[in-house]
Amino acid sequence: MIRKTIVCLSAALALTMPAATQQDSTSPASSQQISASAALPLTTKSQQARHIVEEAMNLYLDKVEQANSIELLRAALKIDPEFAMGHEFLAWVSLDPAEQVSEQAKAFANRTHVSDPERTVIEWCQDGADHNLISAITKMNELLHQFPHDKWVVWMSTWWLTQETQYERAIDIYEHSGLTDNPGLMNNAGYDYAYIRQFDKALALMDKYVAALPDDANPQDSYAEILRMAGRYDRAIEHYRAALAIDPEFYSSQFGIADTYSLMGDQVRARHEYMIGFQKFSLPELHRILWQTREAMTYVREGDYEGADKAFQAVADYADVHPMSQVEADTYRQMALYQPDPKQALKLLDKADAALAGGSNAQLAAIQQEKAQLLRVRVELALKMGDTGVAISAMTKLSEMSQKSDDKVIDTAYEGAAGAAAFSDHQYKIAIQHLQEDMDNPLSLKLLAQAYEKIKDHASAKRTLDLLADFSSPTLEQAIVVPSFRKCYQDRTCDIKVALK
Amino acid sequence: MRARQLLTIILVGLLSCLAEGRQLAIVAANSATTANLSSSELVKIFNAKTHQWPDGKPIIVVLRDPSSSEMEMVLHRLLNMTPEEARAFVDTHRNAFAIVNSDDEVIRFVSSTRGAIGVIDLFSLTKDVNVIKIDGKLPVEQGYLLRGN
Repeated sequence: MIRKTIVCLSAALALTMPAATQQDSTSPASSQQISASAALPLTTKSQQARHIVEEAMNLYLDKVEQANSIELLRAALKIDPEFAMGHEFLAWVSLDPAEQVSEQAKAFANRTHVSDPERTVIEWCQDGADHNLISAITKMNELLHQFPHDKWVVWMSTWWLTQETQYERAIDIYEHSGLTDNPGLMNNAGYDYAYIRQFDKALALMDKYVAALPDDANPQDSYAEILRMAGRYDRAIEHYRAALAIDPEFYSSQFGIADTYSLMGDQVRARHEYMIGFQKFSLPELHRILWQTREAMTYVREGDYEGADKAFQAVADYADVHPMSQVEADTYRQMALYQPDPKQALKLLDKADAALAGGSNAQLAAIQQEKAQLLRVRVELALKMGDTGVAISAMTKLSEMSQKSDDKVIDTAYEGAAGAAAFSDHQYKIAIQHLQEDMDNPLSLKLLAQAYEKIKDHASAKRTLDLLADFSSPTLEQAIVVPSFRKCYQDRTCDIKVALK
Repeated sequence: MRARQLLTIILVGLLSCLAEGRQLAIVAANSATTANLSSSELVKIFNAKTHQWPDGKPIIVVLRDPSSSEMEMVLHRLLNMTPEEARAFVDTHRNAFAIVNSDDEVIRFVSSTRGAIGVIDLFSLTKDVNVIKIDGKLPVEQGYLLRGN
């Protein structure tokens, strides 16, 4: 990966060398220029910096070579440290939490001397980070109205909408962009179709993506991931291997194989594949943490909680030393989720709260989201322990957070917790209303199916159980709930009520 | 692989697998004087029981096709009608309703028509219209009438 970065960087510099001596001073584009060109302007003092940023973003979007793209962006910003959109792109692409925060701040600080559309992009992103959703949506639509066919505006809009779980709107923008043959946008739209479980359309886009870039690894990797989401594990592994055959350095495919074996229930093989990945590749920090967490989950899937504790604790210790408060807190939260002893789970939640209070290298939005996740676990734990006082107290805090916020993660944490509380109070219809808002968390799906049964809505219960059995995202919640449930669900002699307990 | 940002990674895929929720918004022209309506006022407007704004301007409700999936929540929470009933209702109250084909058309109609009030997907919002609060709440707030799956 490091060697490749240097090659790419050299290539980009070579491409732009003639302009390097010119240092042209590009003034912000006027609105007349903007409507004529219909392309998002990039204001920079350096033509060379602009070319490198364009190269970096093409690499990122079309080939998902995130590490290389980051290196190029950093190089461009050394040439022009006041390149506002360069900082903005790096804030989006970076895998370093501290860099994300600082780059967004630099983009915002440098927005005063750029064109109106660039300023709108930067303020939209700032609004997004600050949870000013209405203002963010307005700015995004203003940009889409001005630049409906600009690759970067379409990419940023569809990406952001996906983060906001507005998959259908993201698809609509892609389909009307006139850029449906752009490989990167095609890739992202494929995921959007997969998120709404339209796998036929998602896989058709993957066929197109593979055909567009036959010598690239990422199309095969995406194909594999979407097949995995559809529960077609064997074919997923074939495509991951095809990606590695094209590019043996494409590490996400190696870890994709490991994740898939884990979902298939072969934890020994999964750990072997993770080990190969860790030994073979030098990974960006957050990617390494991600797959170390997934590796830790293999022990949970086996019911080896001691092994899981050891593996998760190693991640938490690393995050403590480096320090990454939200990562550390989320690791303790996940440990709390699978603990058989509620008292031990509470201790872990206290550690998570302490870590989060540190607030190191995490965006405010991420801290708030984590806080909500922790409160949700506290509610569920208190309900399990029959401690109504603690459940109400945590629920009240979570409700206040949700009322003040427009954040999806916070809202779904609230809905999941409120659903669990209503279910525990035998208020099944109210529980259903809340749990329907958290349909992609297996813990909520499990309760939802039970709530439907309680009110004798057998058809809805069956639909929910089917969804739960098909749930194939490698999350801890999936690891705790789905494998044992699926096994029972597929065995006609097994009592589903027991599996749902 | 889809390129990802920090939050997606650390919340172990949480953001990328949340169910899609629909959030609708009631919008009016930027020049409109009404910024807040109660649920009951809104229900009366949508059921053609209130015909005028306090300043005497006639109210026109701008909607997408009542049988479209986008309008499901409006039918359920404001009109309490089936799509067929809603169509028939709109047909018999032609002066009070305008049916258009897209959120963009809702926004164009509302921003250029005195007294018009429309329903759009929140994520279609532009600066050409204002969001009207319902019971003091914006669409992004918990408990907003037109929020949910």
